[in-house]
Amino acid sequence: MAIMISIPAGIMANQEATQGMTGNLASTISSMQEEINKTITLIEVSASSGRGKFSSTPSGTPSNMSFGTPPSGFEQEEVFTNETVGDEIRTIEGVKDVVPFLEKSSNETTSETMSTPRGSFTISRSLYTITGVCLNSSFVENYSILPTNITAGRNLQEGDSGVLLMSSNLTDYYGVGVGDTVEIYGESFTIVGIYEPTSTEAREVYMNISDAQTVTGQVGNVSRFDVYAEDVSYVDDIAEVIKAAYSDLYVTTYEDRLATLDNMQEMYTQSLNNAESTIAQTQATATQEIIIAVAATSLIVLFVMLYTVRERTKEIGILKAIGFSNWNIMSQFMLEGILVSIIAGVVGVAIGSIGAPILTSLLLPQVNLFSGSSGRFQLGFGSVNSGTTGSTTTTASLTPDLILLAFGAAILLGALGSLYPAWRASRTSPMEALRYE
Amino acid sequence: MSELVLETEKLDKVYKLGGRQVRALSDVNIQVKKGDFISIMGPSGSGKTTLLNMLGCLDKPTYGKVVLDGVNITKVPEKGLFKIRKYKVGFVFQTFNLMPYLNAIENVELPMDGTKKSGDEKRKRARELLKMVGLSEREEHRPHRLSAGEQQRVAIARALANNPAIVLADEPTGNLDSKTGHEIIRLLGKLNIDQGTTIVVVTHDSLIASRAGRMLFLNDGKLLAKEKQGTHLLKKELTCPNCGREIQPDDTFCPRCGKKL
Repeated sequence: MAIMISIPAGIMANQEATQGMTGNLASTISSMQEEINKTITLIEVSASSGRGKFSSTPSGTPSNMSFGTPPSGFEQEEVFTNETVGDEIRTIEGVKDVVPFLEKSSNETTSETMSTPRGSFTISRSLYTITGVCLNSSFVENYSILPTNITAGRNLQEGDSGVLLMSSNLTDYYGVGVGDTVEIYGESFTIVGIYEPTSTEAREVYMNISDAQTVTGQVGNVSRFDVYAEDVSYVDDIAEVIKAAYSDLYVTTYEDRLATLDNMQEMYTQSLNNAESTIAQTQATATQEIIIAVAATSLIVLFVMLYTVRERTKEIGILKAIGFSNWNIMSQFMLEGILVSIIAGVVGVAIGSIGAPILTSLLLPQVNLFSGSSGRFQLGFGSVNSGTTGSTTTTASLTPDLILLAFGAAILLGALGSLYPAWRASRTSPMEALRYE
Repeated sequence: MSELVLETEKLDKVYKLGGRQVRALSDVNIQVKKGDFISIMGPSGSGKTTLLNMLGCLDKPTYGKVVLDGVNITKVPEKGLFKIRKYKVGFVFQTFNLMPYLNAIENVELPMDGTKKSGDEKRKRARELLKMVGLSEREEHRPHRLSAGEQQRVAIARALANNPAIVLADEPTGNLDSKTGHEIIRLLGKLNIDQGTTIVVVTHDSLIASRAGRMLFLNDGKLLAKEKQGTHLLKKELTCPNCGREIQPDDTFCPRCGKKL
């Protein structure tokens, strides 16, 4: 009986989970929109296919928003364009600055063995990404084109050459520190600084763009430009001009990115809805379970009390013979039933408080916020707000309210279950009851 | 002429067993006066217990009426009967029927539950009664630690708790050895003399029955016309006709002068 009563107590505590998720969503979206406001004047012009930096730049580039690393093993073909294109774009009306970047995969690769349900396979991917940055001091100051969270040494600055900035996961990988020399495409570079990447996935090296062009054999080439407009009102026109003039380049404005964000928000909302419906379903199941538990509890009390009444028929007969009224006997048996249920309630709450966490993991589903959406977005969120995880686990905990409810239920069920047996006891004929052995 | 405590008139009881009708009692007329000590004798199956149950409101007659202490109990609705059982009747059973989880004094207090008496008054009354049946030293003992005779004494004390108009004893010595049985019937006789308690005992034991004041005989549900005087003496007769000193009801010789009574 005690365990039956503890089950409803364990199940009922998952409503807050929804609210917690909504809170996370709101803060994530607001931080994303802040980021977007910073970069609304930015037009990305990329030589690579796909959607500009959205897919070609490793996540964690702190200068702009970056949504994820390309999925492992699916490196895109690296395409470059002549850096003189930047000078041409610079002449378009409304353009304030054109910042060139050269992004190139490292010549060093790693092999990873992936296990899938269909067997395992080995893929090789580049170990890290080299980003050549134009170290013009006005660019460095105005636009956050370099990582900011330096953990050792210093950041890159105008005039740097033969030196680089390395992400900490890569220095850990090599076992090197500031002042050490590393080889990239056969050339030696000295590490001047180490930074903490926003995503553990992103292993990167930053260096002067001319160094990068030299070592990677891409002299005169860049992979993309960040074009900054004088004002938001110019953005569309500039984008149109660039698209018309360079059909092989990919242009993205903040509007495109906003559309992407909307899309993401929609997906987020949808997955939230999924989560909510999962929770609603869980609650419906819980309600069913509670109804079953309540019915079972009442029935158990009923049968136990019926048995008790039968066992004590003789006693009832004696009590009636010496002048106890039907009401006396009925109330005594009711009281007994309720008392037994209260004791059961105490035991049930004790078991429930120990068992609720175990029950939670057994009975409640894990609610995945991103179920059904692509992996890229999961990683993207990880890079924007590293504190946000893709899933929320619902928990069941015993609150005072719940304990009170359990006791209330215990008393009510005790009364309910002992009502009929007590009534039957009170109606027993004293003469027949006395004869009962 | 003392007043009537109990009177039955043309009492009939018919049981239905399967499709068959069994007539347990037929045209029973009994009159019990205040202070009477009556035994009803009969073989088993003669309807003794049925009669007693009807006298004590545990069962209803099919026909006829029972007037107890001025109340026609056959007309009292089921819901009101508990009050008559509580205040007008004291039951003593063959199997004692004490509550096993209550000690002697609590068992005696039990019928006083729901009366106007306070806890202290109940305890005082129960003590008094246990003293009366000679169990003052056994107040805290539970039934299983008492002998059969002691248990029956507790049951008698319990029957007297609410000072009933009549005590009904159903084979009170049936589960006792003959020595203890005689002690119990002697106790009932003593209570009848000392307290003036009206007592009706049913038994199939003629020795026990003969200890009452009046003996009635029941056979096949019918009360026999013959009636016998028992050996029970009335209070005024409890003096030695020789020396005039007080004697016990079952003394055969006067303890003072030694003359055969």
